[in-house]
Amino acid sequence: MTVENDSLRKQIKEAIASQKRPTVTVLSSLLAIQDSIGYIPNEAIEEVAIAMNASINSVFGVASFYPNFRFTPPGDHSVEVCWGPTCHLLGAGRVLDEVLEQLGLEDEGDTPDGQVSFRFNTCLGACSRGPVISIDHELYGNVTDTQASILLRQLKDNPKTS
Amino acid sequence: MADKINLTIDGVEVQADPGSVIIQAAMDNDLYIPYLCYYPGMKPYGACRMCVVKAEAPTPDGSYRPLPGSPASCTTPISEGMRVETNTDELVSLRKGILDLLISEHPHGCLNCHRIDLCGPTDVCLRHVTVNDRCVTCPKNERCELKDTVRYMEMELTTPLTYNNRHLPLEVKDPYWDMDMNLCIVCARCVRACDEVRGDSAITLKDRSGRSIIGTSQGTSLLESGCEFCGACIDVCPTGALVERDYKWDKAEKKVTSTCPHCPVGCQLSLDVSKRNKIIRAIPERTAEANRGMACYKGKFGLDFVNSRKKIDKPMIRNNGVLEETTWPTALDFISEKLLNYRNGEFALIGSPRGTNEDHYVGQKFGRDVMHSANVDISSNTHPEITKPLGDMTGRRTSTSRIWQLLDTDCVLVVSSNITESQNVVSVPIKQAAANGTKIIVVDQRETELTRYADIWLRPKVDSEIDLIGGFMRTIIDESLEDNEACQSCGEFTEFRNSLWDYDLTDIEATTGVPQDEIRNAARMFANAENASTIYGLETISPQIREHCAKAIVNLALMTGNIDNGPSGIYPMFKGANEQGARDLGACSEYLPNYVATGESAVGMTNLIESLNSGKIKAIEIVGDSPTFDEDQVGDFYKAFKQSELVIAHDNFESALTEIADVVLPSSTFAEKTGTYTNLEGRVHCVNPSIGPSSEADEEWRIFSQIAQRMGASGFEYRNSSDVFVEIQEKVSSYTNLDLDKVKKNGQIMRKENQDFQFAVVTRAEVSGDTTNSEYPIIFAPGRVLQQPDRDAGIDTSSDKNTITRTEIVEINASDASEHGIAEGDNIKLEGQGFSMNGIAHVNGIHKGMAASTSLFGSLVEDLANSGDNDPVLKSDSLRLRKVRIEKI
Ligand code: SF4
Ligand code: SF4
Ligand code: SF4
Ligand code: SF4
Ligand code: FES
Ligand code: FES
Repeated sequence: MTVENDSLRKQIKEAIASQKRPTVTVLSSLLAIQDSIGYIPNEAIEEVAIAMNASINSVFGVASFYPNFRFTPPGDHSVEVCWGPTCHLLGAGRVLDEVLEQLGLEDEGDTPDGQVSFRFNTCLGACSRGPVISIDHELYGNVTDTQASILLRQLKDNPKTS
Repeated sequence: MADKINLTIDGVEVQADPGSVIIQAAMDNDLYIPYLCYYPGMKPYGACRMCVVKAEAPTPDGSYRPLPGSPASCTTPISEGMRVETNTDELVSLRKGILDLLISEHPHGCLNCHRIDLCGPTDVCLRHVTVNDRCVTCPKNERCELKDTVRYMEMELTTPLTYNNRHLPLEVKDPYWDMDMNLCIVCARCVRACDEVRGDSAITLKDRSGRSIIGTSQGTSLLESGCEFCGACIDVCPTGALVERDYKWDKAEKKVTSTCPHCPVGCQLSLDVSKRNKIIRAIPERTAEANRGMACYKGKFGLDFVNSRKKIDKPMIRNNGVLEETTWPTALDFISEKLLNYRNGEFALIGSPRGTNEDHYVGQKFGRDVMHSANVDISSNTHPEITKPLGDMTGRRTSTSRIWQLLDTDCVLVVSSNITESQNVVSVPIKQAAANGTKIIVVDQRETELTRYADIWLRPKVDSEIDLIGGFMRTIIDESLEDNEACQSCGEFTEFRNSLWDYDLTDIEATTGVPQDEIRNAARMFANAENASTIYGLETISPQIREHCAKAIVNLALMTGNIDNGPSGIYPMFKGANEQGARDLGACSEYLPNYVATGESAVGMTNLIESLNSGKIKAIEIVGDSPTFDEDQVGDFYKAFKQSELVIAHDNFESALTEIADVVLPSSTFAEKTGTYTNLEGRVHCVNPSIGPSSEADEEWRIFSQIAQRMGASGFEYRNSSDVFVEIQEKVSSYTNLDLDKVKKNGQIMRKENQDFQFAVVTRAEVSGDTTNSEYPIIFAPGRVLQQPDRDAGIDTSSDKNTITRTEIVEINASDASEHGIAEGDNIKLEGQGFSMNGIAHVNGIHKGMAASTSLFGSLVEDLANSGDNDPVLKSDSLRLRKVRIEKI
């Protein structure tokens, strides 16, 4: 019976309803929403609670358990540095330092200008080409810190391309 | 109960209930195994590992098979012949290790200090531990289970003083409830209490691993997270992480168990009393059968009124228009002399629903025997129709089953009764049952918390409930769903059945506005349930038709065999804490003690105003306790009181009543009384003086006795309340089985009177209440729920108190909307007598002539917490229907 924030809620409801799987759960619904709008806004927690007949707090409990869910809109670009064992041994540390420096971050998170969302990844599945980074879901293998720095500068130079 | 299981714990042979876990078996036998996350009555969780034991179970060949590793005793079920060791060196060192890890995230300056038993908050710390890291400055100090466990384990002083400080901000902006997550040991007791026991899930475990902590969705306020402010989480928290805000730092000097004065559940509360003689905390008793460790916002956070310094502490007599303090003898002499003039039926005595049985009994005896007046009642008896038909038709004067039997019913029908607020603890077993598949049917115009649990929520037109219930019964007969044996065993079945032919479903669909199919479905759901219980409060139903409606409800229960059949029962829901006792003991206008009908037209709450106005009543003595008249009518009552020649008021506080009174007597609050209350199940509980007499205030039974004696009456020579109780037992047959020692322990249920059941024919009334009112043509049904996830709550968190800021949505009917030029989303205003609200119009399928709006329970709690009233709970707004007019703004 809501009058507020209709369009966002509508999008969320659609995401929940359009899941094609035998068992729809809190988790699957959260995933569907994140796939559809890129993050889990407050309204998503509420709508999942309604659809699953759970309380908002239990839904949030689930959502906050998984680092993969984000509660704020993602940046325009995504950057991930693989931090898996192979990449780690092959020198991901230097790459990571460079990337953090370029982005002006100290840890996972979004750059203040909202341009880039940066995260670690535990294995990007391309160990043979480590160290690996992913930029806007495109993999770059055997990267050195210099290459990483070039890639990031390119990103900055043409914002909002994605 | 199945046979007990034998096992040995540390060489002691014990017996325990089958299905218990080891730790519970130990507890039941007064043996202690350290634990932190377990809590009796909640499902084992196995999080803290403090309760590890060694256990072995016998095998068929006579040898013993050890259970692998060191199992947690809170998750390991007992078995016959099991041998358990709880204190081996290995276990002790395991536990110490665990505890070491636990307190590595908990401020523990004092926990591993040799002065742990010596220091108080004002001592200078010898270890230079900062204030925040010391137990002695924690609100839970000496009530903390973590500290007790650390002590028991005799931790060495080798743990370093530094710990991982979480640096989390305190959450102190919500009403009543303070949260310091730096003290949390993440045992999840609170989350489980809120979820498993209360069914609310208003708090959750968020994040994971090292960062896992308690909170709400996105850190929102409890005002919108679905919290009912029952305090269950606080009650189970072993540390200072969750505490009651009021008197947070105060220590209990003594503990007194007494009965909550706010509703007829009669929760047993263990009251902490400080050395300043204040009730500083209420902790519901886990072993009490009425509430099983539960309470609600009123019992948990609404008792502070007894501590008020504004209580009246001396009798007062009005002299030249001004109340002047006087002494008891003078006041009593004055009253007894005056009252001599009114012993001819011109006197009325109105007691308080908070009076004890002793007060009620002596009061009515005084009114009837000394004042020769049948005009005796209590102020909450404004709906006598709720209980009367049940008594007439079944002989039962209380609920026919017990509160916690609702756990075992398969279907619960709730008619016009907002129990989550008015008799909260009754809803706890209902919500638990609903989680286990019990079907819930709610009939109400208002959206209440239980409608959120309802499988079927029927929202009939105002005052069409008789037809609706008739429609249920007609369906049941049509489809032969009745319990034939039960029907035949009740009187007047044939007449009753024949009367149902009038209830034509097509017709009923029109009068109730509820589609036939929904009526049939609900009827089937109720009738097909193995056990079905009915709860009714008739809160939205007009006085003229309440009695018929109650009859119809009882008929429905009778025809489906749902009275006295296993757990199923029928529960009339009145509001006064000891209204039950008042009726049992004849302190009401309908009955003498023992439910002997008065036989004369006595004046009671329902006709008091007209009797005062007509001059039939000239003197009135009223135990105000800040009166709880039907809210709409308070003003009318005061106006009428002014007609009276003599008004004697007993009250706790100065009020609109004492302003009118000629004599004011200071009345004791429940915290100063000694006596008994009878709850809605007929369970008699003790009211014990927790703060004791703190002023000259006195108990009603003693006041009435003294007046009676001064007026020359005999039979009032009671030395104490037990004397009165003895006399009650002589005079009231259903109380004869009571044993005061049992009553004192945990309450005892009074005897049931058995009588043959009778149907009552209810003809279809041509009732529309008095719904047509040209000035206020719309009936407004206010609702209230804990949570509305489909709406943005709108919480202002910027000031030091969280507040709800949203604008309410008002449901209105399309034709009413167009009549008033209102479109979806328009701002509108509702106005009634002494009422107005603004909202946003939402045009939907609600009945023509009706409007409704659902607010958050958080708003009510906010109001209570900020209220300047002496006794806010008494004045808290019940959800009554109102006549309003609507306009666009
Ligand atoms: S206040 Fe200081 S000296 Fe006293 S028990 Fe605590 S840590 Fe030890
Ligand atoms: S007070 Fe609120 S959060 Fe705590 S148990 Fe009750 S409903 Fe849950
Ligand atoms: S707040 Fe209290 S009950 Fe809840 S997890 Fe923390 S320590 Fe346990
Ligand atoms: S349910 Fe009733 S008796 Fe229990 S705490 Fe609440 S108001 Fe008091
Ligand atoms: S470890 Fe980096 S891709 Fe697998
Ligand atoms: S009490 Fe058994 S694991 Fe916590």
